Amino acid sequence: MPERIHNIAQLFLREIKLVAGNHSLLLTLLLAPLFYVFFYGTIYSYKVEEKVVLAVADDDRSEMSRMFVEQMNNMQVVAVMRTLSLEEAQERMYRGEAQGYFYIPKGMQAKVLSLQQADVVLAVNGARFLPSSELTGAITQLGLTIGAGVRLQYQEKMGLNSTMALQEAMPVNIDYRPLYNPQASYGGFLLPVLLVLILQQTLLLGLSGSIALERENLEVGRLVKMGGGLSGMLYGKAAFYLLLYLAYAAFFMTVNYQVLHLPFRGSYRDLAVLLFLFIFTLIPMAVWIGTLFKSQLLAAQLMAFSTYPFFLICGYAWPFESMPPALQGLSSLLPLTPFVKVYTSIVQTGGTLRDHAGSVVHLVLLWVFYLLLALWGLKRLNKKQQPLSL
Amino acid sequence: MIRSILKVALREWKRILTFPVYYMAMLVLPPVLCLLYAGIYNKHFAEDLPVAIWDEAHSPLSRQFTFMLEQTESIHITQQVQSEGELQAMLHKGIVMGAIHFPRRMDEQIKSRQPVYITIYTNVSYLVPAKLLYKDAAQVLLTAAAGVQLQKLMKTGMPAGKAMALVMPVQLQSFTLYNPRYDYQQYLVPGVIAVAMQMMMIMVVALALNYEHKTHSLGELYEVSNGSASNAIVGKSLAYLSVAWVDYIMITLVIYPLFASGEQLFSWGLFTIFTLLMLACISVGMMVSAIFKDLLLACDVGIFYTSPAFVFSGFTFPRWGMPWYDQYYAMIMPLTPFVDAFFKVYFMDLPLRYVRLEMAHMLLFAVIGLPVAIILFQRSLQPSTLQHA
Repeated sequence: MPERIHNIAQLFLREIKLVAGNHSLLLTLLLAPLFYVFFYGTIYSYKVEEKVVLAVADDDRSEMSRMFVEQMNNMQVVAVMRTLSLEEAQERMYRGEAQGYFYIPKGMQAKVLSLQQADVVLAVNGARFLPSSELTGAITQLGLTIGAGVRLQYQEKMGLNSTMALQEAMPVNIDYRPLYNPQASYGGFLLPVLLVLILQQTLLLGLSGSIALERENLEVGRLVKMGGGLSGMLYGKAAFYLLLYLAYAAFFMTVNYQVLHLPFRGSYRDLAVLLFLFIFTLIPMAVWIGTLFKSQLLAAQLMAFSTYPFFLICGYAWPFESMPPALQGLSSLLPLTPFVKVYTSIVQTGGTLRDHAGSVVHLVLLWVFYLLLALWGLKRLNKKQQPLSL
Repeated sequence: MIRSILKVALREWKRILTFPVYYMAMLVLPPVLCLLYAGIYNKHFAEDLPVAIWDEAHSPLSRQFTFMLEQTESIHITQQVQSEGELQAMLHKGIVMGAIHFPRRMDEQIKSRQPVYITIYTNVSYLVPAKLLYKDAAQVLLTAAAGVQLQKLMKTGMPAGKAMALVMPVQLQSFTLYNPRYDYQQYLVPGVIAVAMQMMMIMVVALALNYEHKTHSLGELYEVSNGSASNAIVGKSLAYLSVAWVDYIMITLVIYPLFASGEQLFSWGLFTIFTLLMLACISVGMMVSAIFKDLLLACDVGIFYTSPAFVFSGFTFPRWGMPWYDQYYAMIMPLTPFVDAFFKVYFMDLPLRYVRLEMAHMLLFAVIGLPVAIILFQRSLQPSTLQHA
């Protein structure tokens, strides 16, 4: 046993030297995580997109239409760009200066005052999802408020007192409660997962690159001997990455959560257990992936393309159930899939590990699966790199 | 000179088909990634999301509202809860994505002029399902509320037209142009494919010149290009551009029509902006390749430069919502002007005159990148340097 620990310690120290001497590994493992986490974090630091530009053409030019436009401009989401005609408003949208246009035809006020329904037109550029949905939501809300105002005035004219008129104006109301991300912001949604995605991708890139480098330098056989076997070699290399990434995880979950003003609603103990399990599963996965590449260059080049696919199929950006069965199967093979489910529940909704026992078991099974794959991959390389005996 | 450029281009094609760092990224990955991205969003919309009903009213109206909610695309009522605590537990466990609450004595309150509040809960830690649920639930409940108001007004003897005008004095005719149903496949697939293409091109071309050192073939390149760095770089660029066009044909002939509802087959506008994007990426890649002789370092620079391009480009999160320094950073990536042009040409079907600025922006990368690469690479192509190599 002490000999085994000694072997692992030797490999651990060797890995430090290897990373320190290889600028690509050094960049990927030591510089990239810290740089990316602050760099990417700033993009969403405002979390919501405010003042989406809406071109407005007002042909009515009445007191009511001016009030409508003013109310619109006072909204946090909308920035009104006044135009002289509908054509100009459309042109502004085509040029990308506005994300949609709003048209008030002539005679709106007159119609409303004579208790006839008046039409106004809102056209948003649906090619851009976020701004267009924000605009539609805000203007719909404004339309409802103005409608309620008109009814309120009518009821008051009919002789009801202010309280009763108000009740009559809005008999059924919607109380919307966006839970766990009250502003329903894109930043609030993406940032927590972006942090773990940076952890995952730099670990996969770095460790798979390190294994590919060992393969390229025909070092696998020697390392297996140094480790006293395949598992010894694996644990020796893994120990360095486990310690490094646990430190990163602790840093991200405390410092970056503070810097980015991200709410944390769950238990740190549960999160620590989950992150340990996640990193523990990613390590054999990265080792196995590394055994598939003949050179560090190829590993770095191809693994760089994995970021978006891994993120898009993990069930966070797009519901798992809405993917085809084959992709659901592929997604289930990623540690990120069960991890994200439990992680978002812990940090955002205050859930616990117990709430997601199934996903935790899923992660443990993936650890066993990738451990076996990593050992098989190393065995295959070890066999290939043994000198031929006659 | 033209003969020499064509020879270099032909030689580069052979290298692309020979070395895995080229053919894996340029020919194998693009179709795999395109099919994967298209597959993810094959359903186009997130449908039948699990929703709980917390019905304390137990009334005909609440049952009618529940029925209407179930008819929507995104809502599938899977659970009935009896308390807020039960609902919170289900949200924690991810059993439901949202819930609707009908308050006690809802029907009587509506009849007795007391305002009623129907609550929509959504778990916004999952933004896409939450937005879809809210949109559908709000639409149903607003329509239902308008129906209630209309009935109340008509019971007072008011004519239907007048009652309708009071319920909705200002009728908002709302149009979502270019993607009216918020189809995720139509929206995201072309964008992520463009990201993959720019990443592929920059990362591969970053190895275009320096890989000659590794394969000890600089001398051969010297001969084929007549010792001219410009011939070598233009020839190589032509080869990469032709690969990009092969990928473009695959994307526009197979992927867009099958998976992204693309109607713009062989659109000259799209072809022009795609070519400009690829040219910009090739120029940046050539510059990196000429600056960094170390292959791994060039690859790392490529990864570092290209991986954040999508989030900075404004495709999903608008650039005006970012801090000013990030907005400037976004401008030094070719994907940023391409995304702006792509929205106009692909989605909005606008002519190229609307994207002149974006095209000039993309061309700027070539105007700067290629000459820098040529000047730097000419030093590597000196006979004296080749002897040392």
